[in-house]
Amino acid sequence: MVDAVIEGLKERISVAIKVNQSVGIQVPENRHQDLLQALFSFMNTDKNEVWTFVTASNTYKNISENFKKIYEDKNIKFIDCISRSSGISTLEKECNYIESPTMLEKIILKIMNIFKDIEHDVEKFLVIDSLSSLVIYNDSEIVREFVSVLMNKARSYNIHIVTILIEEEVDTHKLLQMNDKIVVLRDSFIS
Amino acid sequence: MNKEKVCSTGIEELDMQMSGGYPVGSTILVTGCSGSGKTTLCMQYLFDGARKNERGVFFTITEPLFKLTKNVEGFSYYDNKLIESGMVNIIDLRIISERLGLDTEKYSVEDAGSLLDILKDIANELDVKRLVIDSITALCYRLQTREMIRDFIFKLGTSLAMMNCTTLLTSEVPPQTYKFSQYEIEEFISDGILFLGDIDRRGDLIRTLQVVKMRGSAHSRTKFAMNISAERGIELMPLLKSSDFDSVLQQKVQSSLRSMDRNRERVLI
Repeated sequence: MVDAVIEGLKERISVAIKVNQSVGIQVPENRHQDLLQALFSFMNTDKNEVWTFVTASNTYKNISENFKKIYEDKNIKFIDCISRSSGISTLEKECNYIESPTMLEKIILKIMNIFKDIEHDVEKFLVIDSLSSLVIYNDSEIVREFVSVLMNKARSYNIHIVTILIEEEVDTHKLLQMNDKIVVLRDSFIS
Repeated sequence: MNKEKVCSTGIEELDMQMSGGYPVGSTILVTGCSGSGKTTLCMQYLFDGARKNERGVFFTITEPLFKLTKNVEGFSYYDNKLIESGMVNIIDLRIISERLGLDTEKYSVEDAGSLLDILKDIANELDVKRLVIDSITALCYRLQTREMIRDFIFKLGTSLAMMNCTTLLTSEVPPQTYKFSQYEIEEFISDGILFLGDIDRRGDLIRTLQVVKMRGSAHSRTKFAMNISAERGIELMPLLKSSDFDSVLQQKVQSSLRSMDRNRERVLI
């Protein structure tokens, strides 16, 4: 069952991201890890593809423990927004750390700096995991503005963007509205 | 002042906000509280100039040379070769004062005049295009009366206007205040003001930068979030507008809580 959901998700993400610049994925909390697995599996090992993964839901350490086997040969840069503010002292070299998830402008700067250093002919992808976690630390209005600024920048640099939203955590509608395509994952099916 | 020419700031986003940079020959007050990034901004400006073959001098009166150098060494813009080649000169004004036989803690009118002459001589002799005084507040602190301070600042303004260089004067202000200088005169001799502040977002302080005034330049007055990192020095990004909404909301909540407290006290009485 889980495998079927992951395969289904991979296919939906693949189709959505090929056609659209931005894709919002709404997921129930108990399917969040499956979604991450689907996303990491979907990423190509192709060097002409670069991903930046911004995490505010799990620490980078946690992600690497759970998914490193799936993503280790892929071209992914990580930005961890919560380890430092949670007082976690083990910081990994391969990850960029932000002092606090309230520093939204700094997150944008870090993302753009990563993509600025990448050649033009490389396909660029960005994952924000998750908007609902950012809303825990920020006012929802400022998170909306953050998404809007990020989407404008992403469009001008031709970056495909995937934003994740945990359905139980916030009023989901406003934050996903800005995406070109919204994928909703329910407990046992995708709509 | 030559209004057509500009002097790059060393910060790409800031140049964009001021049609290319500071107007050549202007005096800019860089104001902010302790830790707001004034010295870093000034150093980035000098090293940027040196790379463009514009010699610069940094007069410090707040920090000893070794400490100042140690603090900037970690930045990617720092290049020791530019110091060794004399393209960037860092001079401790307290050492000069000592050599002149001046009291380093308190200046008389004559002392201040001599110091100003020395400053001009050094700038002329080195043929500097970029000059920094860090800080005007600490310099004026050594003058004993308000009249002396006012007189000194006006003389400094006149001297700087005659020099063929673009000057940054740093000014210390208390935290969380919208005030440009300690003595409230410094801004009158300045052609431009860069205000470095911070905003509180849920307990975290976010550095900000705003161009308040820049004579001879069509500039933006947008408030920027400012990031300082070893790899990129100072970087700017427009501050998310809802931040102001957030702090206004916070103030409103605090003020209504205060008024509720007052009402409660009245009921109890």
